[in-house]
Amino acid sequence: MTPRSTIVIGSIAAAVALVGGCSSSSQNAAPAVRDAAAPQQIPSWCGPKPIKFGLLDGNGGNSWRLVATATGMEETAKCPSVKSFRYADGQGNTLKAISDIKGMVAAGVDAMVVFPDAGKAVLPALTAAHQEGVVTVPYRVDPGGQAGVNYDEWIGDDFANDAHNWAAWIKKNVPKGANILFLGGPAGSSQSTTEYEALAGDLGSDYRFIGQTPFQPTNWDPTLTQQLLTADIAKYPKIDVIVSDFGPTLVSALPLFTKSGRPIPALATSDGNSLSCFWADSQKSDPFKMITVATGNDNVRLAIQHAVALATGGRPPAEKAFKGPVFEDSTDPAKPVQCRHDLPPDTYLSATMPGDQQAKLDG
Amino acid sequence: MSTTHPRSDRIDEKPRFARVSLSKGLTTVGASTVLLFLVSAVVEPASVSFTSLSGMLPVAAVLAIAGLGQMLVVQQGGIDLSVAGGISLAVVMVTHIPNGNGSLLVPAIALALAFAVVAGLLSGVLIAALGLNPIIATLGTNAVLYGVNLAISSGRPRTTTDLLARIGGGSTLGIPNSVFFAVAALIVVAVFVKRTVAGRRFEAIGANRRMARAAGLRIRLHQSLAYVWAQLLYCLAGILIAGITSMPSAYAGDNYLLPSIAAVVLGGTSLLGGRGFALPTVIAAVFLQQLIQFVSVLGVSSAISPLVQAAALAVGISLYTLNWGAILTPFTTRSTPAAAPA
Repeated sequence: MTPRSTIVIGSIAAAVALVGGCSSSSQNAAPAVRDAAAPQQIPSWCGPKPIKFGLLDGNGGNSWRLVATATGMEETAKCPSVKSFRYADGQGNTLKAISDIKGMVAAGVDAMVVFPDAGKAVLPALTAAHQEGVVTVPYRVDPGGQAGVNYDEWIGDDFANDAHNWAAWIKKNVPKGANILFLGGPAGSSQSTTEYEALAGDLGSDYRFIGQTPFQPTNWDPTLTQQLLTADIAKYPKIDVIVSDFGPTLVSALPLFTKSGRPIPALATSDGNSLSCFWADSQKSDPFKMITVATGNDNVRLAIQHAVALATGGRPPAEKAFKGPVFEDSTDPAKPVQCRHDLPPDTYLSATMPGDQQAKLDG
Repeated sequence: MSTTHPRSDRIDEKPRFARVSLSKGLTTVGASTVLLFLVSAVVEPASVSFTSLSGMLPVAAVLAIAGLGQMLVVQQGGIDLSVAGGISLAVVMVTHIPNGNGSLLVPAIALALAFAVVAGLLSGVLIAALGLNPIIATLGTNAVLYGVNLAISSGRPRTTTDLLARIGGGSTLGIPNSVFFAVAALIVVAVFVKRTVAGRRFEAIGANRRMARAAGLRIRLHQSLAYVWAQLLYCLAGILIAGITSMPSAYAGDNYLLPSIAAVVLGGTSLLGGRGFALPTVIAAVFLQQLIQFVSVLGVSSAISPLVQAAALAVGISLYTLNWGAILTPFTTRSTPAAAPA
């Protein structure tokens, strides 16, 4: 084998390796949605015009998105006019996310719902899709731009509503003021910033935010959260309340308080089976108060209802933002903490999709 | 990529006593680490408190192990960008396969090690046998590893088994168990490279490939195996992450690519290949992690973390790779009067 042929063969091998790795989850073609349809009751948002539908994630490789994607498939299956369902995962790569949007347009979808993780970076692609006549509905993350100009509708989550619920609970359960540590998502996250602003607005001057403001960025990564929390525990002798907009990431970190001989602070966060079970398991040895709001996997349902309605000629829902209700409150017997030890820890019991069904989603 | 290094071609010419003398990397990074802890204690005592150290040391131990793997590759004149994929796949395997059942932990670890060997061989064959650029080849391996990762986990994390949490995340005599694993990995790597025939050949090939070829050493074999040893160490790092974090992310390895290279460079191993410095690499990992912990306790923006890593990389490269004497010569000789033209 000559050196040149060796290099050529090697390059081909590497290219195959690259393509193989990258494409493994890029186009997880969904099973036919018709099988799961419930034709007996057609919702009002489902019109008569047949359409092809696309659901796109900017970063789909986590359990929250897996549940949201399955929820999306379940929702589209309610409408018989949706003739095909395509899914694409940007895998955290903005360029791929943009390419996926363009690919959906080229594939001839009539409506698409997009989780624009990269925010404004995908706005030009969304705008181009909208101008091509594809019904385009970004959801949850604000991509900037305007409805009707850059896309058809943006269906956000009312994160301020979550923060209002947390603030009311904090004032009720820690009434004489508190040191609050807010652990948020990636630096600059619009979700965490919105929550901080609503919290700061609701809580008076007796409540002091310690650590970085508007929030301490954890990237919603459990290992990083654990690492950052050790620094916080070392620095702040008094932490009364921890606010986190993704509760399950705290499970690894909370035992650090016990190891340091300190009580676990009150917790205002979002739900997750691992967290609820940690709370239940801690009640005898290290009890703490906790409130969770619904983590919002069902946000995608509202977005899909809007997109499908606009594309098929149905009637769009009146709501344009998902409002996550309070799911658990350890101080309120009407909203008990719900732990299911028999289900995977990354199950979200606040979601409409039952936990047992979520458990079967594993790829 | 060049196969020689200004210092590395002299390794076997030094008298025996020189082998126990302190390397430039060890003195530099050792002194820097001591200084950092002193500054930490004076400026923000909380950053060296028991709680802070108990959070810093396990992560530093994981980074040290990943750094040792990276060092073995770097000293062969390569670079391994599949650190993230290797660590993440190990995390997923030892959490997903047992899924809380401790009796399946050992088979899961065995499978993770088997995958590590296959991934290492893939990179090694592509680079040493087929002559591919290490950046391209290991990038491809990384993509394959993440493909397998997603095929197994769909990105869904699983809770660590109690057994692994006790072993990897527990502590003995107040010291995190992960530290003992890092020390064990250090001893194994150091003894292998410095005290075995295969290890001396391995280092000789990294130091001077032409000389090694002339001596009849099996260059391709040793270069390929460097990636296998590295993947095995990444696998150990991933297993420890799974023990330290009760429900780790399926992308837990992403945080270790740049730091692993920075630890190697700060430890004094040249990116051009040559001698590997295992102990300084481990100390550099502690230095990097304590620096990040220090700025975290200070409450400085999280943006400082990647900046610290990038700065450490730049400082390491400039300290050990650049010929400062030659760079500064024009400035130091300017005062000497030039010969007047005729």
